[in-house]
Amino acid sequence: MSADLDGEKDERLAALAAGGDRDAFNALVTRHRQAIYRLCWSATGNAADADDAAQEAFVRVYRSLPSYDPARPFGPWLRKIAWNCGLSVRRDGKAGVPRIAGGDAPEAADPSPGPEEAAEGNEERRRMADAMAGLPAELRMVMVLRAVEGLSYGEISLAAEIPVGTVMSRLSRARKRLLTALGGGS
Amino acid sequence: MDCRETQTLLTAFHDGELPAAGRARVEEHLRGCSGCAAMLADLAWVDQAAGVPDPGPAYWDRFNARVMDRVEREADGPRVAVLRPKGGWMRQQLRYLVPAAAAAALVVVVVRYGGMTPGPPGPTAPPAASEPAAPVPAGQRRTKAEPESRATKKAESAAVARRVPPPILAKERFATVTREERDLMADRSLPAGNVEASRDRATAPAAIGVPSPPTTTYQRAPDGSPPATGADEMASGGQAGRKRMTGASALMEEQQGAGKAKSASGMRIAKEPSPGSPCELARTLAERERFREAEVAQRACLAEDLPAPSREKGLVFLAELLDRQARFAEADAVITEVERRFPQSRPLDLYRQQRPMVQKRQE
Repeated sequence: MSADLDGEKDERLAALAAGGDRDAFNALVTRHRQAIYRLCWSATGNAADADDAAQEAFVRVYRSLPSYDPARPFGPWLRKIAWNCGLSVRRDGKAGVPRIAGGDAPEAADPSPGPEEAAEGNEERRRMADAMAGLPAELRMVMVLRAVEGLSYGEISLAAEIPVGTVMSRLSRARKRLLTALGGGS
Repeated sequence: MDCRETQTLLTAFHDGELPAAGRARVEEHLRGCSGCAAMLADLAWVDQAAGVPDPGPAYWDRFNARVMDRVEREADGPRVAVLRPKGGWMRQQLRYLVPAAAAAALVVVVVRYGGMTPGPPGPTAPPAASEPAAPVPAGQRRTKAEPESRATKKAESAAVARRVPPPILAKERFATVTREERDLMADRSLPAGNVEASRDRATAPAAIGVPSPPTTTYQRAPDGSPPATGADEMASGGQAGRKRMTGASALMEEQQGAGKAKSASGMRIAKEPSPGSPCELARTLAERERFREAEVAQRACLAEDLPAPSREKGLVFLAELLDRQARFAEADAVITEVERRFPQSRPLDLYRQQRPMVQKRQE
């Protein structure tokens, strides 16, 4: 990302990209790729589909930029497209394919302090990833948007197009299920 | 505030979404209730543990390049939007119904008057009643109610006969053509292509390790300007390439013939991108044994947003098209890609059974 684009708001970058500025679009991709990947993972429950969906999401965003209104916030618009891409990846012929457990991430980064700690940490991560992958997509989505992305209920409500009350109830259910799956909980 | 009420509010409290008054009350309860405090700790723990497996730095290093590569190809290649038919439902229906009605009227004319006067030279064999309707230029469309001379009718039927596609015997030659696709072929003589077939959405065949041929001709530039001609696109491809691609353009125009002629502003509409799908075009070209052009169209088809089953079949069909050009190594690469993306692919299994014969024919 070039320095002069770093400080630009998403909406400004989107307007530039819509005008054909590839650097601006590249900057948007860099800025949002990890969040979009995680969102797509939350929609698909596995790394391969998440990759397909995240790539597809950005291509669709690029294609749709001419119709994007910079007066509207860019983030929810992007997330909505990405979520739809994630769901469509599952719809596109993968219905009969069992979800792959969350531990299938390609080239998972694992900066390991020591063999035993690493094994322990990996095991915990794998269990958590499996538990997350085992959630229904709508619960996984709110969980990722809240716990991983740190979005507010209002922002999640916009992204998921559900009422704030539903956001709260889904979060509550998601956390209960995760606690149960991980053997924790009071 | 009791435990039950506290626990109802605990999620919102934990997420910082509780108004100040409610927050103070929950905090007060938590100070005196270890059970609820433990539940709050659980929420914090599960949030901290919740995560998505990170694909790692190598993945992110390539991510932008892959997106930008697809974006660049989209900018240079066909756009899905331009392949969609313009106009509403009624207009789309008319594209089918008007030529079909005209063809039906012509069948009546031919059956009634055919053979009574010597016909003009050239291809004959007017369509049988059971055959699909042929595209008819609007200027030649008549209804039964319109009076016209026998000579006019005869000339018209001859013109239609020239436009009738050759018998679809070739469909049997393609191992990867399914029954549904054969049905589609049978309908291909209807103008304007299959509207629904062009509504697919897009994923480029990014991972196919096969050199991409030049872009196809039936596309509109990103700025919305009219589509480039085959000759434009094939500028570096030699005269033969030019001829082939111009032929493909002609075929696309032929497919949308009725739509063009029907337009009030004829010339302008004539330059509009074809509503036909490149997937259909690929089948049509392959059927006519124009495999190179079919391959180009098929790649354009695969650059669209296809559902996985269509992509699977489309890739297998691309492999067959490459085999039919004796480009076996490239076909192998496509097949490898199909194996990778669609393990135990049934279309691929079927094609594998036919492949030795296909390859033998090209050797």
